[in-house]
Amino acid sequence: MKPEEEIRKARYKTYVLVWMTLVILTGMTLSAAGMELGRWTVLIALSIAGTKSGLVLNYFMHLKSERLLIFKVIIPLVLAVFLVFIILTFSDVAFR
Amino acid sequence: MDETTGFVLEEEKDTTGAKLGMWLFLLSEILLFGGLFILYSAYRYKNPVDFHHASRELEVILGTLNTLILLTSSLTMAVSISAIQKGQRKLSIYLLMATMAFGLLFLVNKGIEWGAKIDHGIYPNSPILLSRPKGEVLFFGLYYVITGLHGLHVLVGVCVLSVMLILLLKEKINPAYFVPLENSGLYWHLVDIIWIFLYPLFYLIT
Repeated sequence: MKPEEEIRKARYKTYVLVWMTLVILTGMTLSAAGMELGRWTVLIALSIAGTKSGLVLNYFMHLKSERLLIFKVIIPLVLAVFLVFIILTFSDVAFR
Repeated sequence: MDETTGFVLEEEKDTTGAKLGMWLFLLSEILLFGGLFILYSAYRYKNPVDFHHASRELEVILGTLNTLILLTSSLTMAVSISAIQKGQRKLSIYLLMATMAFGLLFLVNKGIEWGAKIDHGIYPNSPILLSRPKGEVLFFGLYYVITGLHGLHVLVGVCVLSVMLILLLKEKINPAYFVPLENSGLYWHLVDIIWIFLYPLFYLIT
């Protein structure tokens, strides 16, 4: 068996650990929303959601163990396009 | 597997192509929901107080429960794929069925949630909703469109997974060929990721 096949047959234990982390992060989002954090609320909620997505992408969707370059750049590329959309929209909304 | 035979190499290439195609589709999905997220942010930026009041009316418990259901369904999906790769066919079948059950449970919860709101007269263009401040009308409009579109994705996911279940039972998906199951898994996880963002943005506005 080739080494990359070993990686693809990821251990069940890893999946359960990732799932537990995701549940804990959900609890953190929930409790953070109960605090009065003012303008930090959105930032905290989005960074926790971003962390959770990163875990799902890397472990459940196996981006971490992909060898081809295209799989490594594909998500950052789309996020960059999305960021351009956000900047363009908000430069309109905010300065109208 | 023997690396010297051209047949195996060709098969591997094909697998990569299928996966790449799936990823390209998923990226278009990200931009589809991304556009709606930008719409949400722009309206929330303009109507912060109304969004806060409207968000308080959503059932946080149901939203949290649905988050946990989808996260768990992602776990069963990932292990199901891993199981067929390892040749544990029965485990793979049971976990795939569990994933579908979680998906349906999610939709039932969503139905209860929508039903309660509609009973209170809050649905797009309802007289009660239109008498509310503009920002609250926008919030509930976005709520129905985005969670509706997401729910539709869950429903499609369950349909795709039921096809995968048939293929698994017929052994068309087996330890030597499992790309369709893997790709369906990718789709299922993406639907989970979208919900990960919807949850704090709709249920947890302080």
